[in-house]
Amino acid sequence: MNHCMKTLMVGLTCMGLWVAGCAKKAEQDGLTIGMSQCNLGEPWRVQMNADIQQAASTHPEIKVIFKDAQNDTLKQRAQVEEFISAGVDLIIISPKEAAPLTPVVAQAYAKGIPVIVLDRRVLGDQYTCFIGADNVKIGRAAGQWLVTHLDPGAKLVELKGLMTSTPGQDRHTGFMEGIKDANLNIIFEADMKWLEANARKEMESALARFDRIDAVYAHNDPGAHGAYLAAKAVGRESAIKFIGIDALPQEGQVYVEQGILAASFEYPTGGQEAIDTALKILKGESVPKEITLSSRIYEAKP
Amino acid sequence: MTTPLLQMKGIGKSFGANRVLQDVHLDLFAGEVHILAGENGAGKSTLINILGGVHQDYEGQILLDGTARQFKSVLEAARHGIAVIHQELSLVNTLSVADNLFLGREVCRWSWLQRTSMLAQARQWLAALDLDIDVTCPVEQYPVGIRQMIEICKALSLQSRIMVMDEPTSALTEPESQRLFGLIDTLKQRGVGIIYITHKMEEIYRIGDRITVLRDGQAIGTARSHLLPQDTLVTWMVGRTIQEQFPNHAPHTGEVCLQARHFTVPDPDRRGACVVDHVNLAVHAGEIVGVAGLQGSGNSALLNGLFGTFGRRVQGDVQINGRPYTAFSPGHSIARGMALVTNDRKTTGLIASMNIIQNVTLASLKAFCEGGFLQPKAERRAAAQQSRALNLKASSLNEDMDCLSGGNQQKVVLAKWLETRPRILLLDDPCRGVDIGAKHEIYELMTRLCTEGVAIVLVSSEMPELLCMSDRILVMHRGQVTLALNRDEATQEKILYAALGKRNNA
Amino acid sequence: MKDLKTPGRPWTSSPSARALGALVAVLLLGALFNAEGAFFKWGTHRDMLRAVSVFGILACGMTGVIISGGIDLSVGSILALASVTFSLLTIHWHWAAPWAVLACLGVGMACGLCSGALVAKAKMQPFIATLAMMVFARGLAKWVTGGEKISQAVKQSDGTFAYVDLPPLFKWIDSRILYDNISVVTLVFLTCLLLCWVLLNKLRAGRYIYAVGGNEEAARLSGVPVGLIRIVTYGVSGLCCAVAGMCQACQEYQGDPEAGAGYELSAIAMVVIGGTSLNGGKGSIWLTLIGVLTIGYLDKILSINAVGEDKRLMLTGIIVVAAVLLQKSRR
Repeated sequence: MNHCMKTLMVGLTCMGLWVAGCAKKAEQDGLTIGMSQCNLGEPWRVQMNADIQQAASTHPEIKVIFKDAQNDTLKQRAQVEEFISAGVDLIIISPKEAAPLTPVVAQAYAKGIPVIVLDRRVLGDQYTCFIGADNVKIGRAAGQWLVTHLDPGAKLVELKGLMTSTPGQDRHTGFMEGIKDANLNIIFEADMKWLEANARKEMESALARFDRIDAVYAHNDPGAHGAYLAAKAVGRESAIKFIGIDALPQEGQVYVEQGILAASFEYPTGGQEAIDTALKILKGESVPKEITLSSRIYEAKP
Repeated sequence: MTTPLLQMKGIGKSFGANRVLQDVHLDLFAGEVHILAGENGAGKSTLINILGGVHQDYEGQILLDGTARQFKSVLEAARHGIAVIHQELSLVNTLSVADNLFLGREVCRWSWLQRTSMLAQARQWLAALDLDIDVTCPVEQYPVGIRQMIEICKALSLQSRIMVMDEPTSALTEPESQRLFGLIDTLKQRGVGIIYITHKMEEIYRIGDRITVLRDGQAIGTARSHLLPQDTLVTWMVGRTIQEQFPNHAPHTGEVCLQARHFTVPDPDRRGACVVDHVNLAVHAGEIVGVAGLQGSGNSALLNGLFGTFGRRVQGDVQINGRPYTAFSPGHSIARGMALVTNDRKTTGLIASMNIIQNVTLASLKAFCEGGFLQPKAERRAAAQQSRALNLKASSLNEDMDCLSGGNQQKVVLAKWLETRPRILLLDDPCRGVDIGAKHEIYELMTRLCTEGVAIVLVSSEMPELLCMSDRILVMHRGQVTLALNRDEATQEKILYAALGKRNNA
Repeated sequence: MKDLKTPGRPWTSSPSARALGALVAVLLLGALFNAEGAFFKWGTHRDMLRAVSVFGILACGMTGVIISGGIDLSVGSILALASVTFSLLTIHWHWAAPWAVLACLGVGMACGLCSGALVAKAKMQPFIATLAMMVFARGLAKWVTGGEKISQAVKQSDGTFAYVDLPPLFKWIDSRILYDNISVVTLVFLTCLLLCWVLLNKLRAGRYIYAVGGNEEAARLSGVPVGLIRIVTYGVSGLCCAVAGMCQACQEYQGDPEAGAGYELSAIAMVVIGGTSLNGGKGSIWLTLIGVLTIGYLDKILSINAVGEDKRLMLTGIIVVAAVLLQKSRR
């Protein structure tokens, strides 16, 4: 037991030193940007951080400190407070939730620290700039794409992300707007919770029930990929068009390139734009209050 | 004559096709101790459960103070002043004494606990029973004996007029038992009627006013205890006359099998203290060495230490058949021919979720394996052989443990250890909670093993058992051997003296 | 009193009969809500078996742990770790399949043995030890991959992606054999089931696992190497996680460090619905099979009927409770 305690103590001391070492970096000269990411559990958000890092690396004068709130609103609030007290020059936040994080963002803004809100919104106008993509618009684009690429009367399967989450709802709403006037039928819809394994399972059910499926619209690319694998397992993949959203370079773009997906609609991370905007702000230039990112469509070569 | 506090008339009860009680009569007067005696499986527990409101579907009538009552639940029985104190106590060990006394009926004002008033009341009740303990301490810090008294105190505080005590002394040391008997006298003076279940002869005659004997679900008879001679009582219980309770046993002393010098077991809770303190012990083949002592004297710890229950924390030179033994783990001990029947088959002897065969072969499973694969046929054969030899009563060898009576469970434990073909058998109270017939069989088994040259070390809470079965007796007190006696010089008085730590050679 | 004929127990009291009862009830539900006959197609059952296989493999290892009186919360994370390890070794580092498989099994077993050692030697509560392993293994999986999925797209130094071919093993494990009638992963699951059955019912170690779960102290005093047995059960669970992780990777054609989140709860539910007691000592691998099928079918039936997520969760909760109540009720 004694031995265990000693090991534990040494371990904790090492950890403490490591953490202290990490913290020290913030005290260097130059411009410091604090970036609070709500959750690094999703590849898309990993990509967002990577994009920011990439964009920042071309500007040696700025230093970005990344923090991961691990899907915890209170933790994220604390992180912003830390940024404020550390006196960073600018804060980028991709908030987990709007309402609980609004006060702390406003607090930073009031202290004169510019705040760029990325992807998800906060309430009110106490921030410098919001950069985000529009899920409804992307969903609409996906719907319109199917309208032009399918014959009337086509049968669709929609694999939804999570209908309790805003992106899921928006991607659904937009899609429904996009196919509103066309003669397309959604014959099967299911929540796949953004997960490939679930999407595959749900698609298997759809395939078992319906002999004719013309297209699958999945709320993210892994979902579309899972659906493709399910169809491939029963030899029906060539009869179905699969489309997904996000178009991350190592996921959706690859699937499109391989011909697995007919199209993938980029949901931009805004990392590059955030750094560009940050530089403008720090140089004293004026920036718009709201920047809506444009989405690219990646299509398979015919 | 006054109306009895309690009358049970024509009580009958079946479980499925199994008739466990048949037309049983029992009455209890205020201020009386009524002994309920009988072998395990005679129906005592069922009768008590009917009285306590556990079973509702029974035949016959229960009258309290002459009025017929039918209890629909345990709670209702308790409300009518019936308290059953089971062998497994129903206290919450982590709560304090006072909290336990008030559990379920806390004194509250606007749902705030009134701690001071509860503590004061708790102290009052404990004082009434001459119990001087700290009511704020968790119950688990007290020995079993005190816990039992707390439980009795709780029953008393509930205004119980009928108390049922189910083998209350089975886990108590001698002084604790004496204290309990004193308490029972106090209860009698307060007009409480007590139904007392026990297997121990001395207790029956020490505290009993009247005795009712149950056998196979029927009441064999009721008598005033001073009018019922012991041999009649035994005949009533067993249904046959047992000429002598203990078989004749002549020592077959051979080579020294087990020798321990300065054997010491440190106390795990107190640094520097020892539960077994420099004990010297030598056991010969074919010999039974009894180790007497009160609970906590270290006799049980001595057996466990030798067997390796405590691992290598023990110190001292131990030799088995002349070869030194230092490994001190159950596995190694078994390999060297040692076996330990622990004093509590439920927690350390049996595996309740396994059947008879699996329990019997557990300690010698290597012998029933080829290349790691079990040989079920060989297992079944061995278990069948052992159960025949030990006269195990079970409907099948696939029977679960909870279907067996205490005596038969103990036989399964013995079968497990005999299957390891031990040369040294350590028995820690092997007859605890075992009925009289099975006890006798266990004594005969011990005698037979001795003639086969097995060395036996016997720890027992029952003095007659030790006196009659042992060839030599060591008496322990606070971890040390205070007296060593040969069979012919041992008397109950000498042993008790030494067990209490009085070192003068009597 | 009523039943004078048979003193023996009714057949309904045997655990397997009770577990089968729950399964039959779910199947009847499927026959009733058959989604225009989709439930009666073999393909539906085949797909269900495929989808449930990964969970089933986890449940196999979990059965041993639960019978020994423990619990393993780390299975989902170890699955993810194995899945990324396997993808990394085969897709990115081009290891030959047998070595990659062995390395993965090694990683899984090491994690399992580690939690086992924490439980058996450091005397930690299984819940705590495996909770720690759950967090640690997830972190390790993320660290190894940098938080990204390991797929055919390999990041080049200039930030662009190059594509590599998938090893044939991926395609083989994700295929079906016996005239397209059964998925390879299902066979992997059945193999795990069979191996665990041999371990639990035919080997001495298996008897010891039951003994440790039934009464640890009594088992120890009977010479059972309790610590070793505990370590073995967690090691076996880790192995199963590694197998499941490789199957998961092959079915997704990539290694996902986020894979298997929440799988531990499904695996535990499958074991418990079968009737294996969380108190240890009682249960069997066949009960687990029944539990796996029950949950698998339940999921499938809800899925082919396109029941919404909200109702699906509520129904699953209700049916799990009903199945366990069915297990418990005596007489």
